[in-house]
Amino acid sequence: MNELLQLARDALLFKHETYVEHTARADALKRGLTLLVLVTLLAGVISLVVNVVNGMRPTDFDANMQEFEQSLQTFFNNAGPFLNLPPDLKRGFREGLKAARPGIEIGARIAELPTPLPRPVGVLLSNLGAFLSLPFSRLAGWVGYGIWVMLAAKLMGGRATAAQTLGATALYAVPHALDILGPVPCLGGLLGLVATVWGIAIYVKALSVANEFTIGRAIVATLLPALVIVLLSGLGLLALLVVGLAAG
Amino acid sequence: MKALIRLAWEALFLREDPYAEMRDSSNAVLRGLGIVVLIAVAVALVGLVGTALEWATTPDLREMQETVWQGLQKMEWYQDLEGIPEIRQQFDWGWQIFPRLFGAPNVGTAALRIVLLPLRLALTWGLYGLVAYLFARLLGGQGNLGQTLGCTALAAAPQLLNLASFFPYIIVGGVVGTWTLLCRYVALKTCHRLRWGRALAATLLPYVLLAVFVSLFSCLIGAAASLIIGGGTSR
Repeated sequence: MNELLQLARDALLFKHETYVEHTARADALKRGLTLLVLVTLLAGVISLVVNVVNGMRPTDFDANMQEFEQSLQTFFNNAGPFLNLPPDLKRGFREGLKAARPGIEIGARIAELPTPLPRPVGVLLSNLGAFLSLPFSRLAGWVGYGIWVMLAAKLMGGRATAAQTLGATALYAVPHALDILGPVPCLGGLLGLVATVWGIAIYVKALSVANEFTIGRAIVATLLPALVIVLLSGLGLLALLVVGLAAG
Repeated sequence: MKALIRLAWEALFLREDPYAEMRDSSNAVLRGLGIVVLIAVAVALVGLVGTALEWATTPDLREMQETVWQGLQKMEWYQDLEGIPEIRQQFDWGWQIFPRLFGAPNVGTAALRIVLLPLRLALTWGLYGLVAYLFARLLGGQGNLGQTLGCTALAAAPQLLNLASFFPYIIVGGVVGTWTLLCRYVALKTCHRLRWGRALAATLLPYVLLAVFVSLFSCLIGAAASLIIGGGTSR
């Protein structure tokens, strides 16, 4: 554990020799994955506790709806003069809420139905399930994008194996420990942005070390898949536009 | 059994050693089959526990159905549908399908997976291994069919991630499929001693072939259906 903490700290500080040692290890991917999973779970702990506590509270549907409507009214009263919201928008919000009310009520009534195990067990298990799903969600994004980055790196002369590239780039998750403060209004979003930028910088550094090429090449290999996706999406939209125009 | 579990666990981390060990094994196919079946049975058993827990914390589907029906009747747009006599029948029919589509826990189906999952994984492994072997050989690979099957069996290792479904409500998602692809790449590269580009081609070509087959099959089904329907209406 101490070794992992040391690795995390040095990765955050961009210590070159740490990246080299980590990538050269036979268990680089195992260590990288362990860090990624631990950091993701750590970042979700506060949300888990908040959600479990909220879920355990007895719910009063009408009181909750009233509270929500009042907070919406307060928002319009306070933000209205600054945002210059048109009256139609306010009316639209209220009408939309009124139309959605029966649907929300169905959900609330279902949540009150009896279950074979006591309700608190269900609340705990469903929130635990969502919490434990977080690392899988991060893994899917990281591996899904990483495959294309690996291909780009290989085409640019990279020397790393799949295990080395993934093991090294898994360190990008370390700054996301800051996401633990995600539920804090304003500060959470700001720290999330810092973690994202810091994570991308670590990703580029790790890719450069693993593949033994320059930071410039690593930046290109990291961004290339995103650029291709943007380009293909643009072309797709253009094609749709042309087809739409041709169809009149 | 312990040795097989160790091999699959190490293969998960994309190291070439377990794949090389499998390639050099005298009974690679049998060991491969053992790994696939072992992983599939373990995942299905664990999944059964998770599904049972999810079922035990979910309200009865019939009670949910009645609650939804009562809620729908309170909606404004329902007044327009009230005159249609079949509306309740259609709602009941939809209720037979949609909850299952959206993952309502079914202990019976989860229990059936103890038999079906090993069969499905073994079939997929055999078919992929065979086709990948042909492409790898065409691309200059040196491994034989038994070695290929042994190594590609280790690519079932990412299914171990599904052991997390012991916990109800967990979503493992698409990472298993992507990770399997990576394991298959390492398996073919190691087994056939291919360079990365050729190994990548040998890994992806079976998927391309499958996509072509599915497209052709869909076209054939579509053509047959239009012939039957078209033929029927023309008379």
